[in-house]
Amino acid sequence: MRDRAILVCWLVAVVAITFVHDPVVLAALMLLAVVLQGTSAPRIALRAMAAVALVNLTVSTAFVVSALLSGEDWMLFVLRLNLRVFLLALLTFWMIRHVELTRAAAAWPSLQFLVVLALGQLRTFTALLADYRMAFASRSPTRPPLSVRLGSAGRQAAAMMEKAERQADELNHGMRARGFFDDRAGKNDRA
Amino acid sequence: MHIPDGLIAPQAYLAAAALAVPCWAYAVKRVSAALDDRAIPRLAVLTALAFVLSTIMVPLPGGTSAHLSGMGLLVLAFGLWPAFLAFSLVLALQAVLLGAGGITALPVNALIMGLAGGAVVVGVRALLGGNRSAWATVLCVWSGVVAAAIGLALVLGAQPLLGSDASGQPLFFPFGPAVTLPVVVVPHMLIGLLEGALTWSVLGMLDSRRAPA
Repeated sequence: MRDRAILVCWLVAVVAITFVHDPVVLAALMLLAVVLQGTSAPRIALRAMAAVALVNLTVSTAFVVSALLSGEDWMLFVLRLNLRVFLLALLTFWMIRHVELTRAAAAWPSLQFLVVLALGQLRTFTALLADYRMAFASRSPTRPPLSVRLGSAGRQAAAMMEKAERQADELNHGMRARGFFDDRAGKNDRA
Repeated sequence: MHIPDGLIAPQAYLAAAALAVPCWAYAVKRVSAALDDRAIPRLAVLTALAFVLSTIMVPLPGGTSAHLSGMGLLVLAFGLWPAFLAFSLVLALQAVLLGAGGITALPVNALIMGLAGGAVVVGVRALLGGNRSAWATVLCVWSGVVAAAIGLALVLGAQPLLGSDASGQPLFFPFGPAVTLPVVVVPHMLIGLLEGALTWSVLGMLDSRRAPA
């Protein structure tokens, strides 16, 4: 319940912030968000900054250059963009820190089950991909040519897809063997 | 290539959400009808697969690299609606687990990259009569990637029209389509070619592994 409440609050706050355009208000909200995060604020702020730095720097720099060339004011937009995007990222990383996604989805059993399964599979695939990458790196004392690297990326993707098909079948058989679908059918019948 | 939070006007992302919700509902219906009780495990594995595929780096000439979107591969291997659902779930997980992409931009990203890009892949394959040769696969995927890039560039380029203050300063993304189209689309013309070649090679490897000995 708590996780879902935080998730909903975050969603409402994110949407509401996109309606705020005054840099002073955005700065005040950002300060408030930093203060409310307490001792974890520096770590969350760094993560948020790292996540938005590339986009903000690229858009801000391009806007400043084009505004200078056309003799227009740029400060207001740059402040507005950076404060808003950073504030949104700050709130998102705060939410990530406080919300357990599987608990937040508890009200919708199918969605919760989907999330649990997807996250579990994600770990398996990520580990497999890391193994492939390390194996490729260990076999390549010098930087391989483009064709070899493309071939390696293709084989990684093919291995993932093949594993995905097998995993889907195995999961389905496992769930069927444990009566998961019978339980769901029973609930639907009772409903 | 997806758009982060804070650059899109509420008029754009709320309209996209209103359009995306029925599309997601329809996709759930189609996938559930086709897969019955296999839908949840299949979708979960597809979602994890799409997530991991999007972390595979496609090497670019000159020593840099780009992310594989994996959309063309998923559409050609599993069909439009399962791929669209899995891709949307990936975007949602990236937004709420990693803080990447953004939750307000999710419907825009999902509709353009997942549904429109995927539909173009399917449409081009149908136009080519289901041709599975190398050039046809590359053309299908390239068309999907470039179509998605054009869609995102147009959405970004529309933002100055959707929001500016009394002094004419933009409220959201500041550049029009004259800037966004070349900046977003031109690199994706090359990325689309590489992704197409990779998709063809992956599908070929899968076919050869499945072929009876």
